Amino acid sequence: MKNTKVHWTCKDVTRKKNGKRGELYAPVMVRVLDVVEMTPDVKLIKVEKPKGFSYSPGQFLMVSVWGAGEAPISITSTEGVHNEIELCIRKVGLVTSALHNLKPGGLMGVRGPLGNRFPVEMALGKDILFVAGGIGLAPLRALVNFVLVRKGDFGRAAMIYGSRGPSEVLFRDDLKGWAAKGMDITVTIDRKAEGWRQNVGLVTEFLGKQKIPIKEGYAFICGPHIMIKNVMRDLSLMGMPTTHIVTTLEAHMKCGVGKCGHCYMDGKYICTDGPVFEYPELKKSGAF
Amino acid sequence: MKSDLVLSKAHLSYWLRQLRKEADLIGPLRSTDGDIVFSSVENIHDIVADCPANLPCQKEFLFPQKEEMYKFSPKGTERPGNHKKRVIFGIRSCDVSAVGLMDTFYGGQYEDDFYMERRKNTFFISIACNRPDSSCFCIGLGTGPFLKEGFDIQLTDLGDRHMVQVGSAKGRQMIKGFDHIFRRPKKADYDDQYEANLSSQSKFEKRITLDNVRRKILAGKVPDSFWEGVASRCFQCGGCVYQCPVCTCFNVVDWKDGGAEKGIRMRIWDGCMFKGFTKMAGNVWPAEQIAARTKRWYFHKLLYWPEQSGKFGCVGCGRCTITCPGKIDMATVANRLEKKD
Ligand SMILES: Cc1cc2nc3c(=O)[nH]c(=O)nc-3n(C[C@H](O)[C@H](O)[C@H](O)COP(=O)(O)OP(=O)(O)OC[C@H]3O[C@@H](n4cnc5c(N)ncnc54)[C@H](O)[C@@H]3O)c2cc1C
Ligand code: SF4
Ligand code: SF4
Ligand code: FES
Repeated sequence: MKNTKVHWTCKDVTRKKNGKRGELYAPVMVRVLDVVEMTPDVKLIKVEKPKGFSYSPGQFLMVSVWGAGEAPISITSTEGVHNEIELCIRKVGLVTSALHNLKPGGLMGVRGPLGNRFPVEMALGKDILFVAGGIGLAPLRALVNFVLVRKGDFGRAAMIYGSRGPSEVLFRDDLKGWAAKGMDITVTIDRKAEGWRQNVGLVTEFLGKQKIPIKEGYAFICGPHIMIKNVMRDLSLMGMPTTHIVTTLEAHMKCGVGKCGHCYMDGKYICTDGPVFEYPELKKSGAF
Repeated sequence: MKSDLVLSKAHLSYWLRQLRKEADLIGPLRSTDGDIVFSSVENIHDIVADCPANLPCQKEFLFPQKEEMYKFSPKGTERPGNHKKRVIFGIRSCDVSAVGLMDTFYGGQYEDDFYMERRKNTFFISIACNRPDSSCFCIGLGTGPFLKEGFDIQLTDLGDRHMVQVGSAKGRQMIKGFDHIFRRPKKADYDDQYEANLSSQSKFEKRITLDNVRRKILAGKVPDSFWEGVASRCFQCGGCVYQCPVCTCFNVVDWKDGGAEKGIRMRIWDGCMFKGFTKMAGNVWPAEQIAARTKRWYFHKLLYWPEQSGKFGCVGCGRCTITCPGKIDMATVANRLEKKD
């Protein structure tokens, strides 16, 4: 199934604002409504949703602070579930630090939504396994919530979520809520830690332990490059058809709209052809 | 709707002077250190019209090395834009073809408004090449030495006069009101143009068909060791990507005016040949190895451009041949690949 591009509202939002032709790189300024500290280096920032803005799970925004710059950030909220746009941001450098400094009432620039979305319709009526590593839970959360509010349309849902340590586990409330809705959730950390009574080990060690029939199920994966690579390989070795394996990739991005060339990989622009890819496409490129 | 005219050389500077009243006239001028550089023409007689190998190329005028995108301050943002009308005189066929490729790239679903704004206000008077340089290989790509379409106005030097071919609405705009200096071509003019074209074609030293090279790569006949060999000679100077009229990569930076809350968001040229171009958080680095970067540049031009738009991402201008200190330019590499079995 093709990853259809569903929304391109960046231009529309800009056009409405300026009353003229779209400016491809003009951010729309939105108000920060709430900032939640999730871990020492991760914050959940909730911003107002601009008028006419609609998005799908898997899409991202170019988020900016004047003077610091722009960075691609996945939308972690879900339309129909959350009223605001939620962004889960790990502080790693210049732009993400500036974003961490934002306070409720402050302004943030956004462009988007950009990129394609998870082709979740391929899994209608089927069981789904979500595999997340670290901040990779952010884009998947949007999809999990999308699927759970349409529970009748899908089969069972399970998740394996890996973090480096106990203090780095994100979205604890969501995880509880999903478990309460019947989702089979495995949370694991890389190494043993005091006070941790759940699983220890890499996510790959827990593949196949859910009640998801591997041969008919579908997998949606997001995390560090190496995790994605191993999970996709293992699932396919266990018998999951490669066409059932979907991931979302990260790349260095400067424009988000296929112009700057930074995210270009083996004939594809991750920003516009992705960030969501099916395993066969990636296998062809040799990067995975 | 194309039309042909003839202009006596005695009238050329008059025509350009009139055009300059409406627009900034850009042309090939000899700089103090001897290079041919495109810049604003003050004295029409300084134009060096017979210069196939100019460096740098014209892309600066459509996609400047540094473009101010937005000025920001606590009061808000402002988009400076660029509405300057320009007539660029004397660019070559290969470069006109390159502008066509840039139009495709910066247009499309996500139209780059900065490029399009400059493009809309830029008019080209190009010159067909009667004396190609030894580094030129447009002939194998169909991007020169003279064009059948894609130009605004194309001149062919016929000795004492120019054949003037008008190929677009912009071209028609540039001849409007000048009926008194242009005349209809006669058979002798067409004959001379034909001669000029023919003799130009016979002068090419380089005959390269990238098609063969592309087929070889697609057939898997080019091992990674070949690219490693190429890459081992790269100095990462970026000359190729900066000089290439088809290369379009950029970086975006926010420049802050001192410690103040005001400054400029601008884009500057960048190049996939540089280390760090693809670096990401977590030290994931898709094109860390220089071989991967060199291969990426060649694959983009030789495989993915044709895949996406049916044309190579190279117009055979030969600038990378002139620039590259490592002698791993398109023509040299393509030649080696063509000979390889
Ligand atoms: C589609 C997509 C979705 C993303 N979603 C999220 C998200 O939801 N939450 C989140 O925290 N992060 C996300 N990221 C990663 C985030 O974009 C980068 O961490 C951020 O751009 C770093 O910017 P910086 O200015 O803070 O870092 P810098 O000061 O620029 O550099 C810090 C480090 O990050 C690298 N880096 C710089 N720019 C980028 C870039 N554009 N992309 C990746 N690495 C870069 C640098 O090479 C360096 O190693 C996403 C990335 C992509 C491509
Ligand atoms: S690759 Fe080299 S020869 Fe080809 S268009 Fe670019 S600079 Fe010119
Ligand atoms: S011009 Fe030659 S040496 Fe310089 S970056 Fe390009 S390929 Fe490398
Ligand atoms: S981010 Fe600029 S081309 Fe993809």
